[in-house]
Amino acid sequence: MNRRIALKHLAMVTGGIALIPSCDFSSDDIIAAYEKLQIKASEKDLLGAISNTIIPAGEIKGALDIEVPDFILVMVNDCVKSEDQNRFMAGLRAFPEFVKTKAGSGFSSLSDNGREEIIKEGLAAETEESANIKYFLQMAKRFTIQGYMASEYIQTEVIPYSLIPGEYNGAVLISDINKPRING
Amino acid sequence: MANLNLKNKQDRTYEAIVVGSGISGAWAAKELCDLGVKTLMIERGRNVEHNKDYPTTNMLPYQFEHRNQLTEDIKKENPVISKCYAFREDAMHFFVKDKEHPYVQEKPFDWIRGYQVGGKSLLWARHVQRWSKYDFEGPARDGFAVEWPITYDEIAPWYSHVEKFAGVAGNKDGLPNLPDGEFLPAFKLNIVEKHFQESLKKNYGNDRHMIAARMAHINGNPEKFVEQGRTLCQSRNLCQRGCPFGGYFSSNSSTIPWALKTGNLTLRPMAVVHSVIYDEEKGKATGVRIIDAETKEMEEFYAPVIFLNAAALNTNAILLNSKSDRFPEGLGNDNGLLGKYIAFHNYRARVSAEYEGLSEYTTSGGRPTSGYFPRFRNVYKQETDFLRGYAAGFGANRGSSPDTDAIGMELKNNLLNPDQYGPWRIGSHMMGETIPKETNYVKLDPELTDDFGIPQLRVSVDYDENDEKMTRDYIEQMSDMFEKAGFTNIRSSDSKQAPGLDIHEMGGVRMGKDPKTSLLNKHHQLHAVPNVYVTDGACMTSTSTQNPSLTYMAFAARAAHHAVEESKN
Repeated sequence: MNRRIALKHLAMVTGGIALIPSCDFSSDDIIAAYEKLQIKASEKDLLGAISNTIIPAGEIKGALDIEVPDFILVMVNDCVKSEDQNRFMAGLRAFPEFVKTKAGSGFSSLSDNGREEIIKEGLAAETEESANIKYFLQMAKRFTIQGYMASEYIQTEVIPYSLIPGEYNGAVLISDINKPRING
Repeated sequence: MANLNLKNKQDRTYEAIVVGSGISGAWAAKELCDLGVKTLMIERGRNVEHNKDYPTTNMLPYQFEHRNQLTEDIKKENPVISKCYAFREDAMHFFVKDKEHPYVQEKPFDWIRGYQVGGKSLLWARHVQRWSKYDFEGPARDGFAVEWPITYDEIAPWYSHVEKFAGVAGNKDGLPNLPDGEFLPAFKLNIVEKHFQESLKKNYGNDRHMIAARMAHINGNPEKFVEQGRTLCQSRNLCQRGCPFGGYFSSNSSTIPWALKTGNLTLRPMAVVHSVIYDEEKGKATGVRIIDAETKEMEEFYAPVIFLNAAALNTNAILLNSKSDRFPEGLGNDNGLLGKYIAFHNYRARVSAEYEGLSEYTTSGGRPTSGYFPRFRNVYKQETDFLRGYAAGFGANRGSSPDTDAIGMELKNNLLNPDQYGPWRIGSHMMGETIPKETNYVKLDPELTDDFGIPQLRVSVDYDENDEKMTRDYIEQMSDMFEKAGFTNIRSSDSKQAPGLDIHEMGGVRMGKDPKTSLLNKHHQLHAVPNVYVTDGACMTSTSTQNPSLTYMAFAARAAHHAVEESKN
């Protein structure tokens, strides 16, 4: 991650310098850490809001609290084929228009419930023109789940992960399992 | 000057040289050192010290940037090694990357290599099933390859010898085609695996069996391994990272530290063996030429006994590159068969299924293994339209998973409280014997060389009609067995994967009785150069179906004792 942290700082520094002469108020720079995605800060913010709708904060932390959007972008940048990266980014970029058409406002102005509904609608979409949106949301959901569950927070504070799984029992009655329920 | 050279030569002279520090080389070195022989073990890769050099061994899943997945860049740069199931973020550092040691594929061949002290013993699947007399007698009975010059009875005490030291978990199953050994308590089968075991008994009498795989893991009696600094396997199932407990057997955790403790072992990593030095006057090999992997300078080391354990294909390459006036086609290669009759294991096919029964049960904890299905085809006599047969891995598993259909708080609560139990998942993969053929060979490329100026290896190995028939039979038979056990949704696949990905390449320097048709005698000595021993996969006359490492270990130990006996004469 060191390279990425360095690049993030670099992006901020150059962004800052660029700000002074141009007075560009958007400062919506390409994030250098994910060089294959050419993703803007505003697009990452939208992805963050989507991931936080998929796994929101409650009694325990949500996706945004533990930097799941960064994990999603690491995975899409590094572990996804370039044509699939393109579909992911196309879907992310088309999402605001999709929301506007379906819900009449931007994603950030929707209620929690409205956000959930629009993501469900995107995930269930069957039309040709929504194909990229559906693809993007499916991948965002998959990596949100993975990034959240396989996070330091979950694996140390919520469901501590043990490298030593304990002796094998090949016939455990499910009715005998009594795990305390965790409320999200 | 003369004195200096003499001293230099003395400093470079040992009583034995072992080339390679993997599972067989380190066994040869350990035995030699135990017998008081000053031994130099040469390894082409870097040193990997037990524990100290296992950087990922205690890492938690979230500590891997890509959660143990390969990146697209790594896959693109490494189309061959990326196919290996264990080449993941946690163990990539123990594998040879495609660019690091090029070779020529005359036919597709996925050459999976681990160049470091310990070699692939860090990465192996740890299954250790003995060969039976039916395996050793195979070529003679069925008329392929050449007759093995050794019998099961000759090798059995050496199986025992290495099993006791390595630690083997297993049951005494009493199967004539898979002899029992010196066992620690076995890993347990689960309730569905036992159900399959019973179903086989019911439907096939005493003909087909499924047993707990015999594994080189310390699963009980830890007191026997204290002296090695090893202890009980904790069932972490993270073996490929190197085990901090020494729970499974590797050169690094076991034979190498043991040999070092005797004071008789000198370990020289980062030394790529170029060739064996042959002295025409003495009519013997006198040492090896190495190229220092860092300085690229050539050096020589000398010894009256040389063991080649560089891994099957690299042992072939070294011998082919050891040219002299006496042996212009490679050391010991009077009959022109060096590099030929390469064989491997056919791992192409899988059969999977589901089981709706025993649905009130699941499993807990972990185990580093599963079940093993020994060969039943053509064991006692020829019964099918193909030669030999196949073993198979077998496993059933079940666990809870979350419903991930929803999003929002519902999804979050489902993820945190996974309580969906699907059917039991059943899986099996074939491990077929292949028939060694002259047309399956390795040879040196006349022009291309590697980074060390050593000729690149050309590999030409392929399946044949026998393999096709056997693959079909495995799919048919295993599907039938699954059906009889009440399994459903039975699916089969043939990956058509290239040879090599089984990581069980063997032969090229085969053993035999007749110097006209084989390279090695019954003691693993080159017929024509008896102070050179080959006890890795290169020596294999046939492949049988069992995972081969245990047999290499037994061969190496036996040959080391023979070399010491010979030196007394």
